[in-house]
Amino acid sequence: MTAVALSRPARVLRIEIRRSVVLWSVPLLAALFFFDSFRTVSGFAPVWTVRSSVLTTNMIEDFGPFAAGLAAWVASREGRRKTGDLLAATSRPAWARQLCALGATLFWLLATYLACVAAVYIDTALQATWGGPPLWPIAVGVVEVVTFAVIGFTVGALFPGRFTAPLAAIGGFLLAFIGYHAALGVQPGMSTYALLSPSTAVPLGDAGVFYHVAPDLAIAQVMFMGGITVGLLGLLTLAPVFRVSYRGLLAGISRAGRWLCVAGVALLAAGVAAAATAFALAGTAKPGVSGWDIPALHDAASDQPVPYTPDCAGIALPVCVQPAFSAFLPAAAAALQPAAAELKGLPGAPVRAELVSDGNGTRNTQGMLFAGMPKPGVSGAPPVYNFNSDNGMAPLWGSPAGTDNAGWRAGFQQVFLSAFVAGPPQAGADILTPAQQAVVTALMTAIGSPAPQFDEAFTGNGQVVGGATQAQIAAAAQRFGSLSPAARHAWLAAHLTALRAGTLTLNQLP
Amino acid sequence: MNIELSDITRRFGRNVAVDGVTLDVGTGVLGLLGPNGAGKTSLLRMLATILPPSSGHLTLLGRDPRKPADRREIRRRLGYLPQNLGYYPSFTVVEFVEYFALLKEMPPHLVPKAVAAAIEKVDLGPKARAKLRTLSGGMLRRVGIAQAIVNEPELLLFDEPTAGLDPEQRVAFRALIRDLGQTATVIVSTHLVEDVGAACSEVALMSNGKVVFRGTPEELTARGEAGQGVGDAPLERGYSAILAAARSAS
Amino acid sequence: MTAAEVRSPSAAPAAPARWPTPPGVRLAWLHWRSRRVPAAVLALAVCGGVLRAALEWGWLFKTGHFAQEFPMIVEGGAAAVLVITTHSPFGEAERTASRWLPYLRLGTALAMTGMAIGIIQLCVTGASLDGGILVMARNVLGVTGIGLLSSLVTGGLLAWILPMGYIAFAEYALLQSWTNPWTWPVRPPTDRGAWLCACLVFGIGLAAFTIRGARTRLAEDG
Repeated sequence: MTAVALSRPARVLRIEIRRSVVLWSVPLLAALFFFDSFRTVSGFAPVWTVRSSVLTTNMIEDFGPFAAGLAAWVASREGRRKTGDLLAATSRPAWARQLCALGATLFWLLATYLACVAAVYIDTALQATWGGPPLWPIAVGVVEVVTFAVIGFTVGALFPGRFTAPLAAIGGFLLAFIGYHAALGVQPGMSTYALLSPSTAVPLGDAGVFYHVAPDLAIAQVMFMGGITVGLLGLLTLAPVFRVSYRGLLAGISRAGRWLCVAGVALLAAGVAAAATAFALAGTAKPGVSGWDIPALHDAASDQPVPYTPDCAGIALPVCVQPAFSAFLPAAAAALQPAAAELKGLPGAPVRAELVSDGNGTRNTQGMLFAGMPKPGVSGAPPVYNFNSDNGMAPLWGSPAGTDNAGWRAGFQQVFLSAFVAGPPQAGADILTPAQQAVVTALMTAIGSPAPQFDEAFTGNGQVVGGATQAQIAAAAQRFGSLSPAARHAWLAAHLTALRAGTLTLNQLP
Repeated sequence: MNIELSDITRRFGRNVAVDGVTLDVGTGVLGLLGPNGAGKTSLLRMLATILPPSSGHLTLLGRDPRKPADRREIRRRLGYLPQNLGYYPSFTVVEFVEYFALLKEMPPHLVPKAVAAAIEKVDLGPKARAKLRTLSGGMLRRVGIAQAIVNEPELLLFDEPTAGLDPEQRVAFRALIRDLGQTATVIVSTHLVEDVGAACSEVALMSNGKVVFRGTPEELTARGEAGQGVGDAPLERGYSAILAAARSAS
Repeated sequence: MTAAEVRSPSAAPAAPARWPTPPGVRLAWLHWRSRRVPAAVLALAVCGGVLRAALEWGWLFKTGHFAQEFPMIVEGGAAAVLVITTHSPFGEAERTASRWLPYLRLGTALAMTGMAIGIIQLCVTGASLDGGILVMARNVLGVTGIGLLSSLVTGGLLAWILPMGYIAFAEYALLQSWTNPWTWPVRPPTDRGAWLCACLVFGIGLAAFTIRGARTRLAEDG
C-alpha cells in the first residue's frame, strides 16, 4: 500500500505544526481553562445555552491574549531569526509561507480550544436533562480565536521585534476586557460594538429553554470578526508593496506582482465591507423574546415558544418545571412541601407551583434582563405560585466553590412565603412591612428553616422603617411563632387581607 | 550565459555599493574576491533576486527578474547561501532542508530523496535528525549549503560558504562545487584565496563596487608576479597587486 | 596596499583622549543597549499610555471590587515586557568574559522594575488609579519575579508567557474574590500577606536571575 503523497503546502504545514511554539503553551492554556472557564461553568445550571455562554466569554479571555501573543511571536520569526534573505530567495511567495506559519499556529490553538469545548459539552451532556448542544457559540468562539490570532500575526509580521509578542498579548487582554465591559453596558455610547462583542454577561438561567435563541447576533458577530480577519489578511498580502519604498508605490506594485496586489486589495475591501455590513446590521437589533433580533436576519418562526411537557413532583403542593430543570425538581419540591403545608387552606393559598419564563423585560446588550423581570408571586384562579429560574432557582446552581444546598433551600422557602404573605407581585422594590417580615420569619422557624435574612433595603439600612427595628421584628416573630399551628393558621385566615394590605403593625400580631 | 549583467549599479542612500558592473557568466565556478565593503554581498543579493538594482540591466537564466513570474521561475532554479545564515533552532536538519526544498517548489515526490542526497553530500547524514540548536557553527554552515543545493539549481550563489568549516570539510566543499560547476553557474564570494584557486575556473575581483579584474586564477597569479603584490601565496600577491593598482588609479 | 607599507608600518596612532564617561557607566550603558532597554522603555510607555487612556475614557470600573481588573492587565503586561530585557544576545561569550555580569544583571533588573513603576505612575498622574502607586508597585514587583524565574527556563525572549498566564489567572481570582496572599494582584493595599508574597517572589526571582542569568541556547538571535 503506497502512502498518500502530501502536497507541498501540506508538507510545509506539517513541519510548522510539528515545530510550533504554541504546542509548548498548551499546558498553560489547559490550566487556565480548568481554573477559570471549567470551574465557572460548573456553577451554572446544566442548561445548554447557559453553559455554552462560557465558550465566548471566559474561554476567550483565556485563549485570546495568548492567541494574539503567540501568533505575533511566530510572525516575527523571520525578522528575529534573520532568515529574511534566505526565504526571499525562494520561489514560494511570502504570503504562502506566512499562511503556513499562521495555519500551524491556528492548528494548535483551535485544537486546544475545541478540546476544551468538548470538555464543557461532555460535562453538560452528563448533567443536562433537556435539549442539545448549541453550535453557534462554537462557531463564534472559533472565529474569535482566529481573529485574535490574525490580529497578533499581522502585528508581528509588520513589526518584527522582541517586544511585539507581549505587547500583542496585552492588546489581546485589553480587547477581551473592553468587549466584556461593552457587553455589560459600561460604555453607553458603544452599544453597537457591545452587541458585536461576543463577550456577554452570564445569560438568564432559562436562556434558550422557553424560547429559541435566535442566531441573528451570532451571525452578525461572525460576519464582523470574519471581516476583520479577512481585511487583515489583505493587509498582510499588500505589506510587500509598501516595503519597496525607494521608487514609490508603482515600483512596489511592479515588484510584488499585479495580481497579488489585486488580491490584497480585494481581500481588504471584502473584509471592510463584511465588517461594515455587520456593524450596520447590529445597529438595527432590537430585544426579542430570547435575546436580540436583527430584522434582516431574523426568522419569525423562531419566536414561537418551545413546546414542552412539564415535569412535576410533590403531593401537598405539585411543583412543575420545564424538563431542562428536572434535575432540580426533587429539591424544589421537597423545599416547598413543608412551607405549602403551613399555608394550606388559607385564602389564596397556591394549589401548584410552576417555573415560568424569565419573561421579556428590558435587556442589556447581551440579553440580560435588568428591568421588568417578573417577580415570583401567587396569582390566577386557581392561585398558582410562579417562580422563574433566575429569581427562584439560580442560587441552586451554586458556584465553583460548591453549592450551599441548605442556604438555597431556606432562600427558596423564604421567597415562596414572602410572595404569599406580601400578596400579588408588586412593581418596584421588594419591601415587606415589619409585620409581614415577622410572619415570614415565624413561618420559616415553624418549618425548621433558619430565620430569613432580609436585605438591608428591606429595613432601610438599619434605620427604623415603619416604626420597627430588627430586634422588634424578631421579638414579634418569636411571639407569633410560639402559637400552636392551629392558632397561627386561624389568625392568618382571619387577618391575611390586612396583613397583605400592610395595615397591620407588629403590636397587632398575637 | 546564465548571468548577464549590464552596467549594474546599486545605491544605498549616498553609498554606491555596486558601481556599473558588467559581467557575463556561464556554466562553471566563478570566485568573487574583494576586500570588506567592496560590494560582493550586494552583488550576490542582486543575483539572488532579493535586491533590485538601482540601475542597469540584469538577466538571470534567460529571464528578467523584474517580472514577478520570471523572478519566481529563477528562484525555483536558484540556490543561495547568505553570509549570515538564519535558521530555526527547533527544526531538525532534515526539516530545515526539506522546508527549503518545498519553498523552492520542488515536486513533492522528489523532495525526500533530494533532501537525503543533499544532506549526504555535505556529510551530515549522522546528524540528520538532530535539532539545529545542537549543531556547531561549521555544521550549521553545512546545513546552509545543503539547503542551497537540494533543488539541484542551475544558479548557485555562496557567500562565505567555508566560514567555520574545518580543513577537511573545506577540501570536500571545493570538490563539491567543482562537481556542481559542471552543469551549473556557481559563484563563490570568499576571502579565502586558496578556495578560489582550488575550485574556481574563473575569478572576479571587486573593489569599491567595481569589477577590477576578471580572468583565470593563473592570470591572477601572473599579475602578482608582475606587480608589487604582497602575500605568502601567489594568488594573494596577485590579489594585492590588482587592488593596489585599482586604488592608485582611483 | 604595497610592500612598503608592510615593511615600514606607519607610527601607531596617538592614544585616544580620556573617555568623558566613567568606564562603569559606559559598561552599564552598553549592557543596557544590548538588552534593548531603550525599546523596552518605549514599550513601557505604551503600557502606561494605554492605562491612562482607559482611565480618561472610562473603559474600566473606577471604583469597587472590579476596579483593579484593567490596571492589573497593564501592570502585569509591563512586567512581561521588562523581563524580555533579560535576554542576552551574546550567549556564552558574555558569561565567560566578565565578573561584572551578575552586578549588571541585578542592576538592570532593579532599574527596569523601577522604571516600569515610575513610567506607569507618571502616565496615570492626575487620574485616579484604584489602589494607587502601592498596589501598582506591588503587582509589578510580584509579576516581574515570576518573569525572572521563568526566564531561567524559557529564556528571556519567551519569559513573558508565564507572567501573562498568571495575570489571566489573577483575573479569575478577582472575579471569585479569592483572598489567598499568592493572588496578590487582587488583594487590597493593606494586605500584608499579599505584600510579603509579592516581595518574596520578586526577591527569589531576582536572586536566581542575578546568579544564573536567563537561559541561553546556541546562537540565539540578537
